[in-house]
Amino acid sequence: MTEDTRPASPAKTRILILDDEPIVCKRLKPAFQKAGYEVETFTDSASALARVEGTRFDIVITDLKMEGVDGMHFLTRVKELSPETGVVVITGFATLDTAKESFRKGAFDFVAKPFKLSDILDTVRRIEDKQRLDKGLRAG
Amino acid sequence: MFSQSGIRDLFAFWRPKKPPVPFAVQFKKFEIILERNNAILELMADMGDKLGGEYVFDGQYIVAACERLGDLVFKLISDLSVLTQRKNVDLFLAFESIQHQIEEELAGRHSFPNASLTMPLEELNRDVSEEAGNKLAHLGDVRNFLGLATPDGFVITSKAFFDFMAHNDVTRRVEEGLARLAAAGGAAAGEAAAEQGLDELSQEIRTRILEGEVPRPVAQQIAAMLDVLAARHGRGILYAVRSSAWGEDSEFSFAGQYESVLGVPSGKVLAAYKRVLAGAYSPEVWRYRLHRGYKENETAMAVGCQAMVKAEVSGALYTYAPLAREEEAMVISATWGLGAPVVDGTAETDTYFIDRSEALAVRSFEVAHKPVRLVSLPGGGTGLQDVEPDRQDAPCLSPARIQRLAQTAMTIERYYKRPQDVEWAFDAEDTLFILQARPLNMRPRLDQACADPSMSVVAATRNAEVIFSGKGTVVQHGVAVGKVFVVRTDDDLARFPNGAILVTQHTSPRYSRVMRAAQGIITDVGSATGHMSTLAREYRVPAVVNTGVATSLLNTGDEITLDTTQNTVFRGAVPELCRFELTSEESFEESAEYRLLRRLLKRIAPLNLVDPHSEQFKASACRTFHDITRWIHEKAVEELINVSERHWHRSGGTPRRLDSEQPLGLMVIDLEQGPVPARGSMSVTQDSLGSVPLAAMLDGLTQSGMWSTDPVSVDLGSFMSSFTRTFSSASAAPGNIGRNLAVVSHEYMNLHLRLGYHFNIIDAYIGERVNDNYIYFRFLGGVTDFMRRSRRARCIALILERLDFRVEVHGDLVVGRIKKLPPLRMREKMLVLGGLIGYTRQLDVCLHCDEDINRHAEEFLQRITPLLEVRND
Repeated sequence: MTEDTRPASPAKTRILILDDEPIVCKRLKPAFQKAGYEVETFTDSASALARVEGTRFDIVITDLKMEGVDGMHFLTRVKELSPETGVVVITGFATLDTAKESFRKGAFDFVAKPFKLSDILDTVRRIEDKQRLDKGLRAG
Repeated sequence: MFSQSGIRDLFAFWRPKKPPVPFAVQFKKFEIILERNNAILELMADMGDKLGGEYVFDGQYIVAACERLGDLVFKLISDLSVLTQRKNVDLFLAFESIQHQIEEELAGRHSFPNASLTMPLEELNRDVSEEAGNKLAHLGDVRNFLGLATPDGFVITSKAFFDFMAHNDVTRRVEEGLARLAAAGGAAAGEAAAEQGLDELSQEIRTRILEGEVPRPVAQQIAAMLDVLAARHGRGILYAVRSSAWGEDSEFSFAGQYESVLGVPSGKVLAAYKRVLAGAYSPEVWRYRLHRGYKENETAMAVGCQAMVKAEVSGALYTYAPLAREEEAMVISATWGLGAPVVDGTAETDTYFIDRSEALAVRSFEVAHKPVRLVSLPGGGTGLQDVEPDRQDAPCLSPARIQRLAQTAMTIERYYKRPQDVEWAFDAEDTLFILQARPLNMRPRLDQACADPSMSVVAATRNAEVIFSGKGTVVQHGVAVGKVFVVRTDDDLARFPNGAILVTQHTSPRYSRVMRAAQGIITDVGSATGHMSTLAREYRVPAVVNTGVATSLLNTGDEITLDTTQNTVFRGAVPELCRFELTSEESFEESAEYRLLRRLLKRIAPLNLVDPHSEQFKASACRTFHDITRWIHEKAVEELINVSERHWHRSGGTPRRLDSEQPLGLMVIDLEQGPVPARGSMSVTQDSLGSVPLAAMLDGLTQSGMWSTDPVSVDLGSFMSSFTRTFSSASAAPGNIGRNLAVVSHEYMNLHLRLGYHFNIIDAYIGERVNDNYIYFRFLGGVTDFMRRSRRARCIALILERLDFRVEVHGDLVVGRIKKLPPLRMREKMLVLGGLIGYTRQLDVCLHCDEDINRHAEEFLQRITPLLEVRND
């Protein structure tokens, strides 16, 4: 009955969230904090980009369509800087083409807006599982 | 003399008729209308779902959903125009008007569609905060949603404010004055000069307002409202005239900065109104606004006018004590008489610290020496009065009153998900009045206590025992800490304790009555779009439905923490979760996107056209998209009946007569078979049709044995009234009397069934996809006097309610709706309706007195229940 999948390690998983609509950041931040993650949110892609240039995040959640640097570019840059970072693309303009392109560029998952908070939390947990597995394989 | 068209009409019958649209085409159109109708209802429900907090959406979603909805509704109207071969100008006009309001909202311009100058308190809620200002809009919630007592009154709206300012030429002077100051400031005149400039401008504007004239329409509306209040409370009542500005009590509280005038007799309300308006331009308030970047056009002063409470004791309550040494406590300050001195801080007050835990026990208190109290003076105004010697040093709140006050404050806090600053008063009759409730900003203190607020919540939830998690569908986000109360019967419902967490097997509209008392809701089965879910969102009660396990894992009395934001039920109290929610930056319900979606849904979702037989059931009366779809649905069905009648005369056999045990006289059109039936078959059997809803309805009629063929003895009075009654209410389309029609497919049935003098409509869809399923049932008319017919309506309503239909009764019209249940349960409901149609056929004749209503409802339920249990096996 009990399904405790909350992260138990003392080092918190670090998440960066980028969406030009503040409401998305405002909703996601407390939800992830409460689930034990360390969260930073950005509403403009230039500052988010500057942040990932200097700091490694375990997980990045990004919108696609934004002013300035768009999500596809951001995704590409994040994967260049840190291939093991899991990236989730969230978008209100979901098409098969953008989904394909996102996966080709290394996105872990592609989620259409609006989405349920529980779904995005699940996605992030799946990334963590995979990252743990990869780490184990490398170590073993 | 004939007009030209009249002459044309006169000779029309000589000409061959325009060839009708082929039947097949019309059927296709009808099907498209049904399909689109459902798509619209679904999209509306979907948008409503988003208010619960489980979904993350953005502004772009709102725009896209509105566009899609507008497009669907427009196409639906066009479909109807093709089906009925009419232009439907009124309908397009109604559509344009709604569409325009939606576009204005999306463009960020608040349209005041019903711009009233005054509004009574009973019409106020958070959605009219533009019109009523924040303070009174909140008070409207407290009164109308939470059901708490507030002083009776009304608000003079922001619209009246703008009218006043324009009428007295103040708006222009404010703008010019500010422009002048800005120009002078640019010339480096120095800060002192700028400050002085604002002081002078403030003086000029306030004088202008105080000497100004209240526009006649505003004055007239105020006078009318005062008359209403005087009629309710007596001529001599005094009023409190208080500010209710835009932005007041929100993120910037403006606390105590605006003017309130107490003890105002009705003759001086206009003068007090002007004083409160002028208060918006005092130098202090003006600076406060300017420093916080308010734009001048964001200043609007609605003004509340409320009956003064004859307060025995008053005060203020903070649901979180602003003192670090009092963890998890609320604090009450109280004094004899009116509360103004408590709020001003000019009086000695009693102080009580109350534990925030469920027991709400008094932790500590201090009683002050209170020699005087503030009271309203009979002729108007307020004054100080000596307190009786024996009460000067006595505590002014009894333990019972402290309990009530604390409970009430928690109710308000739960609703707003924010710590609250509540002003309150008890009168001599022991009524607790809420005078004001506003959010208490307490973030800084908690931030000091803990650098990362999520640390403690993560630690706390890691250590807590999870009873279950990730089950079912989250309906409304939030956290509830409290005791479980399992409701199985109506008696349980009546005993539901305030602040408990409702646990039930399934959702039902019946639970709406405990919505205010419930702190959380957990059910075994149910859907996120049912009526109860809508209510949970409206009352902001954290809720999760369809968990499958709630009643088996939770027992009455268990203390739990329900956190629907993580969809988890913890054993015991986890106050950190509550605190995390209360101190998070902003509750999602208050964010701009949620407020916008809520305002838009008001133009979309409410259904005003309920009764197709009312005068108001017309295209021009459609005020929402829901109204438009409802109207079109009705017209499309009506048209289909007309068309099929015309056709079976012409082609001799499109609808076929159903062979049934009961003499229903039912003609059936099977949409699966297409419009052209097999040659020669004029009748059809139930089995060959294979329509799930129709079969279930007929099963109910047959198996229940409730189709009594014996004529019920009718007493002479009832019988006579059936002769004298006109067909007014029972004859929507007089041509159809005595002819019954069902349009069916495998999953669908639209049934128009007139039995004797009463009229049933069932529109139902029962398929494998739970979300598509619905039953709409309507019952009208009867043979006897109105009294008995309305008794029958109440009897039917009672039965439907017990079977978890959502029910509306208007006179002798009953409408029952149920949706989104699995097919098996939908078939059961349909079976019951079949039985009900049989049972109530002549029921009105048996209902001699009100007591018969319950008796017959019970009898019916007893007879129908075995059928359902058999089916459940």
